[in-house]
Amino acid sequence: MPRRSRILTSIAVLAVAGLAVAWGMSAPHPLTAAEIPAHQPDIANGKVLFNAAGCLSCHKPGPDLKNVDASLPAGGSPFKTPIGTFYPPNLTPDPETGIGKWTDLEFVNAVQRGISPEGENLIPAFPYTSYARMKTSDVLDIKAYLASLSPVVSPEKQAQIPAPWLLRRGVGLWKHIAFRTDQWQPDPGKPAEWNLGAYIANGPGHCNECHTPRNMFMAFDWSKQFAGGPHPGGEGKVPSLHDLIGRGKYKDASDLASAFQNGEMLGYEDMASGGMGEVQTNLSKLPDSDVQALADYISSLK
Amino acid sequence: MKKNLAAVLALAVGVGIIGAGAGLAAGTADDMINARQAEMKVNMKAMKALVSMLKGETPYDTAAVQAAAKSISDAQAEGVAKDVWNTSSQTGATVKSGAKPEIWTDAAGFTEAWKNLDTAVAALSASTDEASFKAAFPALGAACKGCHEKFRAAE
Ligand code: HEC
Ligand code: HEC
Ligand code: HEC
Repeated sequence: MPRRSRILTSIAVLAVAGLAVAWGMSAPHPLTAAEIPAHQPDIANGKVLFNAAGCLSCHKPGPDLKNVDASLPAGGSPFKTPIGTFYPPNLTPDPETGIGKWTDLEFVNAVQRGISPEGENLIPAFPYTSYARMKTSDVLDIKAYLASLSPVVSPEKQAQIPAPWLLRRGVGLWKHIAFRTDQWQPDPGKPAEWNLGAYIANGPGHCNECHTPRNMFMAFDWSKQFAGGPHPGGEGKVPSLHDLIGRGKYKDASDLASAFQNGEMLGYEDMASGGMGEVQTNLSKLPDSDVQALADYISSLK
Repeated sequence: MKKNLAAVLALAVGVGIIGAGAGLAAGTADDMINARQAEMKVNMKAMKALVSMLKGETPYDTAAVQAAAKSISDAQAEGVAKDVWNTSSQTGATVKSGAKPEIWTDAAGFTEAWKNLDTAVAALSASTDEASFKAAFPALGAACKGCHEKFRAAE
Protein backbone atom coordinates (compact mmCIF):
# COMPACT_ATOMS: atom_id res chain seq x y z
CA MET A 1 0.00 0.00 0.00
CA PRO A 2 1.43 3.41 -0.88
CA ARG A 3 2.40 5.45 2.14
CA ARG A 4 -0.13 8.18 1.39
CA SER A 5 -3.15 5.92 1.30
CA ARG A 6 -1.92 4.13 4.44
CA ILE A 7 -2.06 7.45 6.25
CA LEU A 8 -5.51 8.12 4.85
CA THR A 9 -6.69 4.70 5.98
CA SER A 10 -5.40 5.18 9.49
CA ILE A 11 -7.04 8.60 9.66
CA ALA A 12 -10.30 7.02 8.54
CA VAL A 13 -9.95 4.23 11.09
CA LEU A 14 -9.16 6.76 13.79
CA ALA A 15 -12.11 8.88 12.78
CA VAL A 16 -14.47 5.94 12.96
CA ALA A 17 -12.95 4.89 16.29
CA GLY A 18 -13.31 8.49 17.53
CA LEU A 19 -16.94 8.56 16.54
CA ALA A 20 -17.53 5.23 18.23
CA VAL A 21 -15.83 6.48 21.41
CA ALA A 22 -17.86 9.68 21.27
CA TRP A 23 -20.97 7.60 20.75
CA GLY A 24 -20.14 5.40 23.71
CA MET A 25 -19.19 8.43 25.79
CA SER A 26 -22.43 10.18 24.96
CA ALA A 27 -24.47 7.27 26.30
CA PRO A 28 -25.88 7.87 29.80
CA HIS A 29 -24.23 6.15 32.78
CA PRO A 30 -26.95 5.60 35.36
CA LEU A 31 -26.51 4.55 38.96
CA THR A 32 -27.33 0.94 39.84
CA ALA A 33 -29.75 -0.25 42.52
CA ALA A 34 -26.77 -1.27 44.69
CA GLU A 35 -25.71 2.37 44.90
CA ILE A 36 -29.02 3.52 46.43
CA PRO A 37 -28.82 3.43 50.25
CA ALA A 38 -31.51 1.70 52.29
CA HIS A 39 -33.45 4.57 53.81
CA GLN A 40 -36.53 5.18 55.92
CA PRO A 41 -38.10 8.19 54.17
CA ASP A 42 -38.85 11.35 56.15
CA ILE A 43 -41.64 13.35 54.49
CA ALA A 44 -41.13 16.48 56.63
CA ASN A 45 -37.45 16.62 55.65
CA GLY A 46 -38.49 16.01 52.06
CA LYS A 47 -40.72 19.09 52.16
CA VAL A 48 -37.88 21.27 53.48
CA LEU A 49 -35.57 20.04 50.72
CA PHE A 50 -38.28 20.43 48.05
CA ASN A 51 -38.42 24.12 49.06
CA ALA A 52 -34.65 24.54 49.37
CA ALA A 53 -34.24 22.98 45.92
CA GLY A 54 -36.94 25.18 44.39
CA CYS A 55 -38.56 22.29 42.48
CA LEU A 56 -41.89 24.18 42.35
CA SER A 57 -40.39 27.24 40.60
CA CYS A 58 -39.88 25.25 37.42
CA HIS A 59 -42.45 22.45 37.85
CA LYS A 60 -45.36 24.74 38.80
CA PRO A 61 -48.73 24.17 37.10
CA GLY A 62 -48.93 25.59 33.59
CA PRO A 63 -51.36 28.34 32.50
CA ASP A 64 -53.88 25.71 31.30
CA LEU A 65 -54.16 24.25 34.84
CA LYS A 66 -55.89 27.26 36.40
CA ASN A 67 -57.98 25.18 38.81
CA VAL A 68 -55.01 23.26 40.17
CA ASP A 69 -53.58 24.24 43.57
CA ALA A 70 -50.56 26.41 42.67
CA SER A 71 -48.45 24.74 45.36
CA LEU A 72 -48.56 21.40 43.51
CA PRO A 73 -45.70 20.64 41.09
CA ALA A 74 -48.13 19.61 38.34
CA GLY A 75 -45.79 20.81 35.57
CA GLY A 76 -46.42 22.27 32.16
CA SER A 77 -45.37 25.84 32.79
CA PRO A 78 -43.06 27.15 30.04
CA PHE A 79 -39.38 27.40 31.04
CA LYS A 80 -37.43 29.45 28.51
CA THR A 81 -33.72 28.82 27.90
CA PRO A 82 -31.39 30.10 25.18
CA ILE A 83 -31.78 26.76 23.33
CA GLY A 84 -35.59 26.65 23.44
CA THR A 85 -38.62 26.29 25.67
CA PHE A 86 -39.09 23.35 28.06
CA TYR A 87 -42.20 22.35 29.97
CA PRO A 88 -40.83 20.77 33.17
CA PRO A 89 -43.07 17.74 33.71
CA ASN A 90 -45.62 16.69 36.31
CA LEU A 91 -44.02 15.59 39.62
CA THR A 92 -47.29 14.71 41.38
CA PRO A 93 -47.99 11.00 42.01
CA ASP A 94 -50.47 10.58 39.13
CA PRO A 95 -49.56 7.10 37.81
CA GLU A 96 -50.02 7.94 34.11
CA THR A 97 -48.92 11.55 33.65
CA GLY A 98 -46.91 12.05 36.85
CA ILE A 99 -44.21 10.05 38.65
CA GLY A 100 -46.56 7.75 40.61
CA LYS A 101 -45.04 4.62 39.09
CA TRP A 102 -41.40 5.67 39.29
CA THR A 103 -38.99 3.56 41.36
CA ASP A 104 -36.53 5.16 43.79
CA LEU A 105 -33.71 4.30 41.39
CA GLU A 106 -35.43 6.02 38.46
CA PHE A 107 -36.04 9.12 40.55
CA VAL A 108 -32.47 9.33 41.87
CA ASN A 109 -31.08 8.83 38.36
CA ALA A 110 -33.20 11.69 37.04
CA VAL A 111 -32.46 14.12 39.88
CA GLN A 112 -28.80 13.25 40.53
CA ARG A 113 -27.56 11.96 37.19
CA GLY A 114 -29.84 13.70 34.68
CA ILE A 115 -31.05 10.45 33.12
CA SER A 116 -34.72 9.76 32.38
CA PRO A 117 -36.33 6.34 33.01
CA GLU A 118 -36.19 5.85 29.22
CA GLY A 119 -32.41 6.17 29.49
CA GLU A 120 -32.10 9.55 27.82
CA ASN A 121 -29.89 12.40 28.96
CA LEU A 122 -31.86 15.25 30.47
CA ILE A 123 -30.96 18.85 29.65
CA PRO A 124 -28.98 20.53 32.45
CA ALA A 125 -31.42 23.48 32.57
CA PHE A 126 -32.80 21.02 35.15
CA PRO A 127 -30.07 21.69 37.73
CA TYR A 128 -29.12 18.07 38.41
CA THR A 129 -25.46 19.09 38.29
CA SER A 130 -26.09 20.68 41.70
CA TYR A 131 -28.57 18.09 42.97
CA ALA A 132 -25.92 15.43 42.26
CA ARG A 133 -24.03 16.79 45.23
CA MET A 134 -26.94 16.18 47.64
CA LYS A 135 -27.18 13.29 50.05
CA THR A 136 -29.11 10.58 48.22
CA SER A 137 -31.21 10.08 51.37
CA ASP A 138 -32.39 13.71 51.04
CA VAL A 139 -33.40 13.04 47.42
CA LEU A 140 -35.37 9.97 48.54
CA ASP A 141 -37.10 12.17 51.14
CA ILE A 142 -38.15 14.56 48.35
CA LYS A 143 -39.62 11.59 46.51
CA ALA A 144 -41.55 10.57 49.64
CA TYR A 145 -42.86 14.14 50.01
CA LEU A 146 -43.94 14.21 46.34
CA ALA A 147 -45.72 10.86 46.81
CA SER A 148 -47.71 12.40 49.70
CA LEU A 149 -49.20 15.14 47.44
CA SER A 150 -52.56 15.00 45.62
CA PRO A 151 -52.16 13.51 42.15
CA VAL A 152 -52.89 15.87 39.24
CA VAL A 153 -53.50 14.71 35.66
CA SER A 154 -51.14 16.82 33.56
CA PRO A 155 -49.71 15.17 30.45
CA GLU A 156 -46.15 15.98 29.41
CA LYS A 157 -45.71 18.68 26.76
CA GLN A 158 -42.98 18.37 24.14
CA ALA A 159 -40.05 20.73 24.58
CA GLN A 160 -39.57 23.15 21.71
CA ILE A 161 -35.89 22.54 21.04
CA PRO A 162 -33.94 21.90 17.83
CA ALA A 163 -32.83 18.26 17.15
CA PRO A 164 -33.71 16.95 20.63
CA TRP A 165 -32.20 13.54 19.94
CA LEU A 166 -28.80 14.92 18.95
CA LEU A 167 -28.93 17.49 21.73
CA ARG A 168 -29.46 14.78 24.35
CA ARG A 169 -26.45 12.80 23.05
CA GLY A 170 -24.51 16.06 23.09
CA VAL A 171 -25.39 16.45 26.75
CA GLY A 172 -23.93 12.99 27.28
CA LEU A 173 -20.55 14.17 25.94
CA TRP A 174 -20.78 17.36 27.95
CA LYS A 175 -21.34 15.37 31.13
CA HIS A 176 -17.86 13.82 30.72
CA ILE A 177 -16.17 17.21 30.93
CA ALA A 178 -18.51 19.22 33.06
CA PHE A 179 -20.46 16.94 35.40
CA ARG A 180 -19.16 16.57 38.93
CA THR A 181 -21.00 13.85 40.80
CA ASP A 182 -19.08 13.69 44.10
CA GLN A 183 -21.37 14.46 47.01
CA TRP A 184 -20.83 17.62 49.04
CA GLN A 185 -18.28 17.07 51.82
CA PRO A 186 -18.42 19.09 55.03
CA ASP A 187 -15.30 20.98 56.11
CA PRO A 188 -14.39 19.53 59.52
CA GLY A 189 -12.58 22.77 60.40
CA LYS A 190 -15.78 24.79 60.19
CA PRO A 191 -18.79 25.00 62.56
CA ALA A 192 -21.76 22.70 61.89
CA GLU A 193 -23.98 25.66 61.01
CA TRP A 194 -21.56 26.90 58.33
CA ASN A 195 -21.43 23.40 56.87
CA LEU A 196 -25.22 23.21 56.77
CA GLY A 197 -25.29 26.52 54.89
CA ALA A 198 -22.58 25.33 52.49
CA TYR A 199 -24.57 22.15 51.81
CA ILE A 200 -27.79 24.07 51.13
CA ALA A 201 -26.01 26.50 48.79
CA ASN A 202 -23.96 23.96 46.83
CA GLY A 203 -26.46 21.09 46.82
CA PRO A 204 -30.23 21.61 46.87
CA GLY A 205 -30.15 25.44 46.70
CA HIS A 206 -28.19 25.25 43.40
CA CYS A 207 -26.87 28.79 43.91
CA ASN A 208 -23.86 27.99 41.67
CA GLU A 209 -26.16 27.51 38.65
CA CYS A 210 -26.51 31.28 38.34
CA HIS A 211 -23.88 32.83 40.62
CA THR A 212 -20.82 30.85 39.42
CA PRO A 213 -19.52 31.67 35.93
CA ARG A 214 -18.79 28.89 33.45
CA ASN A 215 -15.72 28.21 31.32
CA MET A 216 -15.66 27.61 27.55
CA PHE A 217 -16.98 24.05 28.09
CA MET A 218 -19.96 25.40 30.04
CA ALA A 219 -18.55 23.75 33.16
CA PHE A 220 -18.49 25.69 36.43
CA ASP A 221 -15.29 27.69 36.80
CA TRP A 222 -14.60 26.78 40.45
CA SER A 223 -11.72 29.27 40.60
CA LYS A 224 -14.40 31.95 40.32
CA GLN A 225 -17.01 30.30 42.51
CA PHE A 226 -19.89 32.69 43.33
CA ALA A 227 -18.16 35.56 41.49
CA GLY A 228 -21.26 36.24 39.36
CA GLY A 229 -21.34 36.74 35.61
CA PRO A 230 -23.63 36.49 32.61
CA HIS A 231 -27.09 35.12 33.41
CA PRO A 232 -27.45 31.49 32.20
CA GLY A 233 -30.95 32.39 30.99
CA GLY A 234 -29.31 34.74 28.52
CA GLU A 235 -30.57 38.06 29.90
CA GLY A 236 -28.64 40.47 32.12
CA LYS A 237 -26.02 39.67 34.74
CA VAL A 238 -25.92 37.81 38.03
CA PRO A 239 -24.21 39.61 40.92
CA SER A 240 -21.23 38.32 42.89
CA LEU A 241 -21.88 36.85 46.34
CA HIS A 242 -18.42 37.76 47.63
CA ASP A 243 -17.90 40.13 50.53
CA LEU A 244 -21.57 41.20 50.64
CA ILE A 245 -21.14 42.66 54.11
CA GLY A 246 -17.76 44.34 53.48
CA ARG A 247 -19.28 45.94 50.40
CA GLY A 248 -22.08 47.35 52.56
CA LYS A 249 -24.85 45.39 50.81
CA TYR A 250 -26.06 43.93 54.12
CA LYS A 251 -25.34 44.98 57.69
CA ASP A 252 -24.44 41.51 58.93
CA ALA A 253 -25.34 37.83 58.48
CA SER A 254 -28.71 38.30 60.24
CA ASP A 255 -29.56 41.11 57.86
CA LEU A 256 -28.73 38.81 54.93
CA ALA A 257 -30.93 36.10 56.50
CA SER A 258 -33.75 38.66 56.71
CA ALA A 259 -33.16 39.51 53.03
CA PHE A 260 -33.52 35.79 52.13
CA GLN A 261 -36.72 35.60 54.18
CA ASN A 262 -38.34 38.83 52.98
CA GLY A 263 -36.59 39.97 49.80
CA GLU A 264 -38.04 43.00 48.08
CA MET A 265 -41.18 42.60 50.19
CA LEU A 266 -39.14 44.38 52.86
CA GLY A 267 -37.24 46.80 50.64
CA TYR A 268 -34.12 44.66 50.06
CA GLU A 269 -32.77 45.54 46.64
CA ASP A 270 -31.55 43.09 44.01
CA MET A 271 -33.64 40.14 45.17
CA ALA A 272 -36.33 39.78 42.48
CA SER A 273 -35.02 39.98 38.92
CA GLY A 274 -33.55 37.17 36.84
CA GLY A 275 -35.16 34.33 38.81
CA MET A 276 -33.87 35.45 42.23
CA GLY A 277 -37.41 36.40 43.28
CA GLU A 278 -38.54 32.80 43.00
CA VAL A 279 -35.40 31.55 44.76
CA GLN A 280 -36.08 34.01 47.58
CA THR A 281 -39.76 32.95 47.80
CA ASN A 282 -38.56 29.37 48.20
CA LEU A 283 -35.97 30.33 50.83
CA SER A 284 -38.70 32.15 52.79
CA LYS A 285 -40.40 28.78 53.32
CA LEU A 286 -37.36 27.22 55.06
CA PRO A 287 -36.97 26.90 58.84
CA ASP A 288 -35.25 29.98 60.34
CA SER A 289 -32.21 27.93 61.35
CA ASP A 290 -31.61 26.80 57.75
CA VAL A 291 -31.87 30.36 56.41
CA GLN A 292 -29.50 31.64 59.09
CA ALA A 293 -27.01 28.86 58.25
CA LEU A 294 -27.19 29.78 54.56
CA ALA A 295 -26.63 33.46 55.40
CA ASP A 296 -23.65 32.54 57.62
CA TYR A 297 -22.06 30.61 54.79
CA ILE A 298 -22.76 33.17 52.05
CA SER A 299 -21.56 36.07 54.18
CA SER A 300 -18.31 34.19 54.91
CA LEU A 301 -17.37 34.27 51.19
CA LYS A 302 -14.56 36.80 51.02
CA MET B 1 -73.93 74.54 13.61
CA LYS B 2 -71.04 76.38 12.07
CA LYS B 3 -69.89 77.34 15.53
CA ASN B 4 -70.00 73.70 16.58
CA LEU B 5 -67.87 72.65 13.69
CA ALA B 6 -65.37 75.35 14.54
CA ALA B 7 -65.29 74.11 18.12
CA VAL B 8 -64.74 70.55 16.99
CA LEU B 9 -61.95 71.66 14.69
CA ALA B 10 -60.36 73.71 17.42
CA LEU B 11 -60.57 70.72 19.72
CA ALA B 12 -59.08 68.44 17.10
CA VAL B 13 -56.21 70.85 16.51
CA GLY B 14 -55.76 71.17 20.26
CA VAL B 15 -55.63 67.40 20.65
CA GLY B 16 -53.19 67.27 17.81
CA ILE B 17 -50.94 69.75 19.55
CA ILE B 18 -51.19 67.90 22.85
CA GLY B 19 -50.42 64.69 20.99
CA ALA B 20 -47.33 66.23 19.42
CA GLY B 21 -46.41 67.65 22.80
CA ALA B 22 -46.54 64.21 24.41
CA GLY B 23 -44.37 62.90 21.62
CA LEU B 24 -41.81 65.58 22.30
CA ALA B 25 -41.94 65.12 26.05
CA ALA B 26 -40.91 61.49 25.64
CA GLY B 27 -37.49 62.77 24.61
CA THR B 28 -34.53 60.55 23.86
CA ALA B 29 -34.18 56.99 25.07
CA ASP B 30 -31.56 58.11 27.59
CA ASP B 31 -33.91 60.78 28.98
CA MET B 32 -36.69 58.24 29.41
CA ILE B 33 -34.44 55.70 31.09
CA ASN B 34 -32.86 58.26 33.41
CA ALA B 35 -36.29 59.61 34.34
CA ARG B 36 -37.78 56.21 35.13
CA GLN B 37 -34.74 55.14 37.13
CA ALA B 38 -35.11 58.37 39.12
CA GLU B 39 -38.78 57.44 39.66
CA MET B 40 -37.70 54.03 40.96
CA LYS B 41 -35.15 55.64 43.30
CA VAL B 42 -38.00 57.68 44.80
CA ASN B 43 -39.92 54.42 45.26
CA MET B 44 -36.96 52.84 47.04
CA LYS B 45 -36.53 55.86 49.30
CA ALA B 46 -40.20 55.66 50.28
CA MET B 47 -39.87 51.92 50.80
CA LYS B 48 -36.88 52.34 53.12
CA ALA B 49 -38.74 54.95 55.18
CA LEU B 50 -41.73 52.64 55.54
CA VAL B 51 -39.63 49.58 56.41
CA SER B 52 -37.82 51.52 59.07
CA MET B 53 -41.18 52.33 60.71
CA LEU B 54 -42.35 48.77 60.24
CA LYS B 55 -39.30 47.46 62.08
CA GLY B 56 -39.65 50.14 64.73
CA GLU B 57 -36.26 51.70 63.90
CA THR B 58 -38.09 55.01 63.53
CA PRO B 59 -41.34 55.66 65.41
CA TYR B 60 -44.61 55.11 63.58
CA ASP B 61 -46.00 58.37 62.16
CA THR B 62 -49.21 58.56 60.12
CA ALA B 63 -48.09 61.70 58.30
CA ALA B 64 -44.79 60.08 57.32
CA VAL B 65 -46.60 57.01 55.94
CA GLN B 66 -48.84 59.24 53.87
CA ALA B 67 -45.92 61.32 52.66
CA ALA B 68 -44.11 58.15 51.53
CA ALA B 69 -47.23 56.89 49.76
CA LYS B 70 -47.70 60.27 48.07
CA SER B 71 -44.09 60.36 46.89
CA ILE B 72 -44.64 57.02 45.14
CA SER B 73 -47.83 58.14 43.37
CA ASP B 74 -46.29 61.53 42.47
CA ALA B 75 -43.24 59.83 40.96
CA GLN B 76 -45.51 57.54 38.99
CA ALA B 77 -47.61 60.46 37.74
CA GLU B 78 -44.46 62.26 36.64
CA GLY B 79 -43.38 59.11 34.80
CA VAL B 80 -46.72 58.97 32.99
CA ALA B 81 -46.48 62.67 32.08
CA LYS B 82 -42.99 62.18 30.68
CA ASP B 83 -44.04 58.93 28.98
CA VAL B 84 -40.92 57.23 30.33
CA TRP B 85 -41.96 53.71 29.30
CA ASN B 86 -42.47 54.65 25.65
CA THR B 87 -41.53 51.78 23.35
CA SER B 88 -39.07 54.09 21.56
CA SER B 89 -36.83 53.89 24.66
CA GLN B 90 -35.81 50.40 23.49
CA THR B 91 -33.52 51.74 20.79
CA GLY B 92 -30.62 54.14 20.74
CA ALA B 93 -29.94 54.29 24.49
CA THR B 94 -26.41 54.78 25.81
CA VAL B 95 -27.30 54.40 29.51
CA LYS B 96 -27.86 50.92 30.95
CA SER B 97 -31.46 49.91 31.45
CA GLY B 98 -32.97 47.01 33.36
CA ALA B 99 -36.20 47.17 31.38
CA LYS B 100 -37.13 43.81 29.85
CA PRO B 101 -38.77 43.64 26.39
CA GLU B 102 -41.78 41.98 28.08
CA ILE B 103 -42.82 45.52 29.15
CA TRP B 104 -43.84 46.06 25.54
CA THR B 105 -44.71 42.51 24.46
CA ASP B 106 -46.95 41.98 27.52
CA ALA B 107 -48.37 45.49 27.85
CA ALA B 108 -51.48 44.17 29.63
CA GLY B 109 -49.34 42.44 32.26
CA PHE B 110 -47.28 45.59 32.77
CA THR B 111 -50.43 47.71 33.23
CA GLU B 112 -51.69 45.12 35.71
CA ALA B 113 -48.42 45.40 37.67
CA TRP B 114 -48.89 49.18 37.92
CA LYS B 115 -52.47 48.65 39.11
CA ASN B 116 -51.13 46.45 41.92
CA LEU B 117 -48.88 49.31 42.95
CA ASP B 118 -51.78 51.82 42.79
CA THR B 119 -53.98 49.61 44.96
CA ALA B 120 -51.21 49.13 47.51
CA VAL B 121 -50.40 52.85 47.66
CA ALA B 122 -54.10 53.71 48.04
CA ALA B 123 -54.42 51.30 50.97
CA LEU B 124 -51.33 52.80 52.62
CA SER B 125 -52.66 56.33 52.20
CA ALA B 126 -55.93 55.23 53.76
CA SER B 127 -54.21 53.69 56.80
CA THR B 128 -54.75 55.77 59.92
CA ASP B 129 -52.89 53.90 62.67
CA GLU B 130 -49.99 51.54 63.15
CA ALA B 131 -52.16 48.41 62.88
CA SER B 132 -53.75 49.43 59.57
CA PHE B 133 -50.31 50.52 58.28
CA LYS B 134 -48.84 47.11 59.10
CA ALA B 135 -51.79 45.39 57.43
CA ALA B 136 -51.48 47.50 54.28
CA PHE B 137 -47.68 47.31 53.93
CA PRO B 138 -47.12 43.77 52.51
CA ALA B 139 -49.11 44.56 49.35
CA LEU B 140 -46.65 47.35 48.53
CA GLY B 141 -43.60 45.08 48.77
CA ALA B 142 -45.44 42.46 46.74
CA ALA B 143 -46.14 45.06 44.02
CA CYS B 144 -42.43 46.00 43.72
CA LYS B 145 -41.30 42.36 43.76
CA GLY B 146 -44.05 41.19 41.42
CA CYS B 147 -43.21 43.72 38.72
CA HIS B 148 -39.43 43.29 39.02
CA GLU B 149 -39.74 39.50 38.74
CA LYS B 150 -41.41 39.82 35.37
CA PHE B 151 -40.27 43.09 33.86
CA ARG B 152 -36.83 43.95 35.22
CA ALA B 153 -33.60 42.23 34.21
CA ALA B 154 -30.75 41.96 36.70
CA GLU B 155 -28.14 44.71 36.14
C1 HEC C 1 -34.40 25.54 37.03
C2 HEC C 1 -35.56 24.73 36.69
C3 HEC C 1 -35.77 23.39 37.38
C4 HEC C 1 -35.71 23.11 38.73
C5 HEC C 1 -35.36 24.04 39.87
C6 HEC C 1 -36.07 21.72 38.86
N1 HEC C 1 -36.34 21.18 37.63
FE1 HEC C 1 -36.92 19.28 37.25
N2 HEC C 1 -36.78 19.63 35.27
C7 HEC C 1 -36.56 20.85 34.68
C8 HEC C 1 -36.55 20.72 33.23
C9 HEC C 1 -36.32 21.85 32.23
C10 HEC C 1 -36.77 19.35 32.96
C11 HEC C 1 -36.84 18.68 31.59
C12 HEC C 1 -35.45 18.32 31.15
C13 HEC C 1 -35.40 17.61 29.81
O1 HEC C 1 -36.45 17.48 29.16
O2 HEC C 1 -34.31 17.20 29.41
C14 HEC C 1 -36.90 18.70 34.26
C15 HEC C 1 -37.11 17.34 34.43
C16 HEC C 1 -37.29 16.72 35.64
C17 HEC C 1 -37.51 15.31 35.81
C18 HEC C 1 -37.46 14.28 34.70
C19 HEC C 1 -38.82 13.92 34.23
C20 HEC C 1 -38.81 12.89 33.12
O3 HEC C 1 -39.91 12.66 32.64
O4 HEC C 1 -37.76 12.36 32.74
C21 HEC C 1 -37.67 15.09 37.15
C22 HEC C 1 -37.96 13.76 37.85
C23 HEC C 1 -37.52 16.35 37.81
N3 HEC C 1 -37.28 17.32 36.87
C24 HEC C 1 -37.60 16.52 39.18
C25 HEC C 1 -37.23 17.69 39.83
C26 HEC C 1 -37.10 17.81 41.26
C27 HEC C 1 -37.40 16.70 42.26
C28 HEC C 1 -36.67 19.07 41.52
C29 HEC C 1 -36.28 19.68 42.86
C30 HEC C 1 -35.34 18.88 43.62
C31 HEC C 1 -36.54 19.75 40.23
N4 HEC C 1 -36.90 18.88 39.23
C32 HEC C 1 -36.14 21.06 40.07
C33 HEC C 1 -36.35 22.04 35.34
C34 HEC C 1 -36.17 22.16 36.71
C1 HEC D 1 -32.01 31.50 38.60
C2 HEC D 1 -30.73 32.09 38.87
C3 HEC D 1 -30.35 32.27 40.36
C4 HEC D 1 -30.25 31.31 41.34
C5 HEC D 1 -30.52 29.83 41.21
C6 HEC D 1 -29.82 32.00 42.52
N1 HEC D 1 -29.66 33.33 42.27
FE1 HEC D 1 -29.19 34.79 43.63
N2 HEC D 1 -29.46 36.20 42.23
C7 HEC D 1 -29.74 35.98 40.89
C8 HEC D 1 -29.91 37.26 40.21
C9 HEC D 1 -30.21 37.44 38.74
C10 HEC D 1 -29.74 38.26 41.19
C11 HEC D 1 -29.88 39.79 41.00
C12 HEC D 1 -31.34 40.10 41.27
C13 HEC D 1 -31.73 41.54 41.15
O1 HEC D 1 -30.89 42.37 40.79
O2 HEC D 1 -32.93 41.84 41.40
C14 HEC D 1 -29.44 37.56 42.44
C15 HEC D 1 -29.19 38.21 43.65
C16 HEC D 1 -28.78 37.57 44.80
C17 HEC D 1 -28.36 38.24 46.01
C18 HEC D 1 -28.27 39.75 46.21
C19 HEC D 1 -26.88 40.19 45.86
C20 HEC D 1 -26.64 41.63 46.16
O3 HEC D 1 -25.72 42.20 45.55
O4 HEC D 1 -27.34 42.20 47.01
C21 HEC D 1 -28.02 37.26 46.91
C22 HEC D 1 -27.48 37.48 48.32
C23 HEC D 1 -28.24 35.99 46.27
N3 HEC D 1 -28.70 36.21 44.99
C24 HEC D 1 -28.01 34.75 46.87
C25 HEC D 1 -28.38 33.54 46.28
C26 HEC D 1 -28.34 32.28 46.98
C27 HEC D 1 -27.86 32.08 48.41
C28 HEC D 1 -28.79 31.34 46.11
C29 HEC D 1 -29.01 29.87 46.35
C30 HEC D 1 -29.90 29.53 47.44
C31 HEC D 1 -29.11 32.02 44.87
N4 HEC D 1 -28.85 33.35 45.00
C32 HEC D 1 -29.60 31.39 43.74
C33 HEC D 1 -29.90 34.75 40.28
C34 HEC D 1 -29.97 33.54 40.95
C1 HEC E 1 -44.91 48.07 37.14
C2 HEC E 1 -43.54 47.69 37.30
C3 HEC E 1 -42.72 48.18 38.48
C4 HEC E 1 -43.14 48.44 39.76
C5 HEC E 1 -44.55 48.34 40.35
C6 HEC E 1 -41.96 48.82 40.51
N1 HEC E 1 -40.85 48.80 39.69
FE1 HEC E 1 -38.96 49.29 40.22
N2 HEC E 1 -38.32 48.94 38.32
C7 HEC E 1 -39.11 48.51 37.27
C8 HEC E 1 -38.33 48.41 36.07
C9 HEC E 1 -38.82 47.96 34.70
C10 HEC E 1 -37.02 48.82 36.40
C11 HEC E 1 -35.81 48.96 35.45
C12 HEC E 1 -35.87 50.35 34.83
C13 HEC E 1 -34.74 50.64 33.86
O1 HEC E 1 -33.56 50.43 34.24
O2 HEC E 1 -35.00 51.09 32.73
C14 HEC E 1 -37.05 49.13 37.84
C15 HEC E 1 -35.94 49.56 38.57
C16 HEC E 1 -35.95 49.78 39.94
C17 HEC E 1 -34.79 50.17 40.71
C18 HEC E 1 -33.38 50.41 40.15
C19 HEC E 1 -33.31 51.85 39.67
C20 HEC E 1 -31.96 52.23 39.11
O3 HEC E 1 -31.29 53.06 39.75
O4 HEC E 1 -31.56 51.69 38.08
C21 HEC E 1 -35.19 50.30 42.02
C22 HEC E 1 -34.34 50.69 43.21
C23 HEC E 1 -36.62 49.99 42.06
N3 HEC E 1 -37.04 49.67 40.77
C24 HEC E 1 -37.39 50.04 43.21
C25 HEC E 1 -38.76 49.82 43.23
C26 HEC E 1 -39.58 49.84 44.44
C27 HEC E 1 -39.06 50.06 45.84
C28 HEC E 1 -40.86 49.59 44.06
C29 HEC E 1 -42.13 49.48 44.91
C30 HEC E 1 -42.42 50.59 45.78
C31 HEC E 1 -40.85 49.42 42.60
N4 HEC E 1 -39.57 49.56 42.15
C32 HEC E 1 -41.97 49.15 41.84
C33 HEC E 1 -40.46 48.21 37.35
C34 HEC E 1 -41.27 48.39 38.45
